[in-house]
Amino acid sequence: MTAPRPRRRISRELTRIANAPVDSVLAEIGDSAPASRPRIGVTGPPGAGKSTLINTLAAHRIGANLCDTMAVLAIDPSSPVSGGSILGDRIRMDRIADLPGLFIRSLSSRGARNGLCDNIVDLLVALERHAFDEIVLETVGTGQSEVEVAELVDTTVLIVPPDAGDSVQTMKSGILEVADIIAVTKADMPGAARMAADIGTILRARGDWMPPVVETRGDGTGVPRLSDEIDRHRAWLAEARPHAVSNARRRRYHLRALIARQAEEALSGDRHLAEGALADAYEKLTRKLGVG
Amino acid sequence: MPLDKKRILIAKPGLDGHDVGAKVIALALRDAGAEVIYTGLRRSPEHIVRIAVDEDVDMVGLSILSGSHKELVADVVSRLESEDAGDIKLFVGGTIPDEDHADLRDAGVSGVFTSEMKIETVIAEIERQLS
Repeated sequence: MTAPRPRRRISRELTRIANAPVDSVLAEIGDSAPASRPRIGVTGPPGAGKSTLINTLAAHRIGANLCDTMAVLAIDPSSPVSGGSILGDRIRMDRIADLPGLFIRSLSSRGARNGLCDNIVDLLVALERHAFDEIVLETVGTGQSEVEVAELVDTTVLIVPPDAGDSVQTMKSGILEVADIIAVTKADMPGAARMAADIGTILRARGDWMPPVVETRGDGTGVPRLSDEIDRHRAWLAEARPHAVSNARRRRYHLRALIARQAEEALSGDRHLAEGALADAYEKLTRKLGVG
Repeated sequence: MPLDKKRILIAKPGLDGHDVGAKVIALALRDAGAEVIYTGLRRSPEHIVRIAVDEDVDMVGLSILSGSHKELVADVVSRLESEDAGDIKLFVGGTIPDEDHADLRDAGVSGVFTSEMKIETVIAEIERQLS
């Protein structure tokens, strides 16, 4: 038997990591090495055009030699009923599907409610270990509060469709505050310029970074500018935020995520655990987890 | 669920104009707990095999209505083998005449499903083979 080719080796490793229970994450996967590859997060409401944007953005960045290799992790929601999922982000990624330097992995949220999925930290680190030049993380379609993606990536791109209407108001306290760049997609539709202007009036600078608003189209119009803004933000970040700060934030996210999963594993493994008075149930759970 | 954490690629090779059947199967598999990667229409065998490898699926289901199932299956099987991915199970569904079923199985297909079959039967057989 011959050794598996690299693509298959990477892909099997990702499966193993995605399926690892908390105990094996701690024992076998262990410390996340300090991130060494730029990460781009793409988030926004369902149907906003996240996958389409990644399709054109990856084609541009690889085509213009801004990077040679890129890994994309695209998360879709799992069914709350069956736990299964339809992972359809690839349908919109047809332009880039055959690029040799590109690796796309579709992930199920597996019940995670923050727009991400179990073990996402370890999956990102695994891709970094395989030395992809850049990593793109696409969240599930999100609302206003799924801001945790920003803790895991360097540059957060928020996608807003022109017809988002009043929902932009609701993003004011939330995802708009952590977005580094806003892309108004489907800019050939009526209302896109208005939407971009409206967002511009809501945005506030963070430090001396003023999040730019870029209009893009499905055919790739506007994407080179978006790509330039990503590079500009990356250069700014290198000055403004020491890497240790990013790593500390990621470590805190990682620990919280592991505790949440451990609690979920304990609760689903023993249905009596949640019974009785709330304070007693809490006591039982924390004792089981060995905390508190 | 029986197909919990199983990853299945549903792909449409060739020039078929619609994907109603593929979507019905994809939804039924999701309802059985599977993670279903769906490609959309008109994908080449080369593209399908690359997706199967990158997504590390347990099974590929090809939906074919065009009549060119023998050629497409042979192409997918040989590409899977050359990627060291011959262990990924291959199923075929769609418009497949009875007399071709044996040939497809000889070519490496683990299951042939036609539109006359009940969806429960199809899912049960996939569950059996992936368990």
